[in-house]
Amino acid sequence: MLRLSSLVRFVLTILPIVAGLLWVNPVDLWAHDGQGGHAGALRLELPEGKECVKSAEWMRRNHMDFLKHNRDQAVREGIRVKTDSLKNCTTCHTSREKFCDRCHTYTGVAPNCFECHHYPK
Amino acid sequence: MTMATLERRAVLGLAGALAAGVTLAPGMTLLAAPAERTEASAGRRWAMLIDTTQCAANCTACTTACRKENNVPLFGEPSRDIHWIRKVEIRDKDQRRPTVSLPVLCNHCENPPCVHVCPTEASFIRKDGIVLVDEHRCIGCRYCIIACPYKARSLVYHETKRGAESNPDVPIRSKGVVEKCTFCVHRLDNGQEPACVEACKGEGKGAMLFGDLNDPRSEIAKRVHTVATKTMRPDLGLKPRIYYQGL
Repeated sequence: MLRLSSLVRFVLTILPIVAGLLWVNPVDLWAHDGQGGHAGALRLELPEGKECVKSAEWMRRNHMDFLKHNRDQAVREGIRVKTDSLKNCTTCHTSREKFCDRCHTYTGVAPNCFECHHYPK
Repeated sequence: MTMATLERRAVLGLAGALAAGVTLAPGMTLLAAPAERTEASAGRRWAMLIDTTQCAANCTACTTACRKENNVPLFGEPSRDIHWIRKVEIRDKDQRRPTVSLPVLCNHCENPPCVHVCPTEASFIRKDGIVLVDEHRCIGCRYCIIACPYKARSLVYHETKRGAESNPDVPIRSKGVVEKCTFCVHRLDNGQEPACVEACKGEGKGAMLFGDLNDPRSEIAKRVHTVATKTMRPDLGLKPRIYYQGL
């Protein structure tokens, strides 16, 4: 009798947990293959200009170091190269939300450049 | 060693003077017109001369222009408000001398104590003698605020937001960094004068003069060598680059 009740209690406690795991987890996992969350391939607004200051391939990997290097040079040495400035990015990549932010959200990085610096929305 | 440095300086000064470009006012030159690439020149020593006899007590053209140009916010809390430039009144207790009104800003000292104490090297002297804060590096420890005898620095205690009328060319500062006058470094690199000087020439009475001390042909170099000028607290040996006339 005792054994049976403890078995019932065990089943009653485990069942919702298992059900929860089965139910919640797959939904959570599906979110990553196109059902929600990232919603498939990353779509960025293509720039208006024809050519970037460096090749797109290179920029994809290195734009953060490139910008950071230029930032330090501009602040500390006063070296301002017009073509390499963040301001110059805005001439082709007119929307931050549809270009920078979209990829940053996708890859889960949060650069804080735009807390202070102005970039047209 | 000292002689060698002096000679090097003189040569650099000459080079800077030769490199000077656009003439803004007679005898006053700034960097050449906006170029594709600019760099701070070690030959320059930017300085300011303020003629206190020309500075009206009720005029706030320089302070207003500075706030507008550099997005310096006002929070309405006197103890935490940020000032890059402020108007100060000097009264003689015995009333033997007239009351003088003058603007006080960062003195861009040759031996800046703020730079000396900075633990992260966020405060630094640029090649052309401008003392700056690299806000990317600043950790907000406020040693520099304590070290500065001119009260030129402020800590950003509050979040600031960009408004519609904010200047897009100047970044705002995030909470918890120290900020101060930059001599409008973004304008200098663009071949313009600081915003306060421009405003003083326009709305004010032209009490401010800005230029390169190392350029012997510049108006400021001539004036500093001919007119009796004073710097604030010269006893501290910081060699400030804001000169006051008629103090």
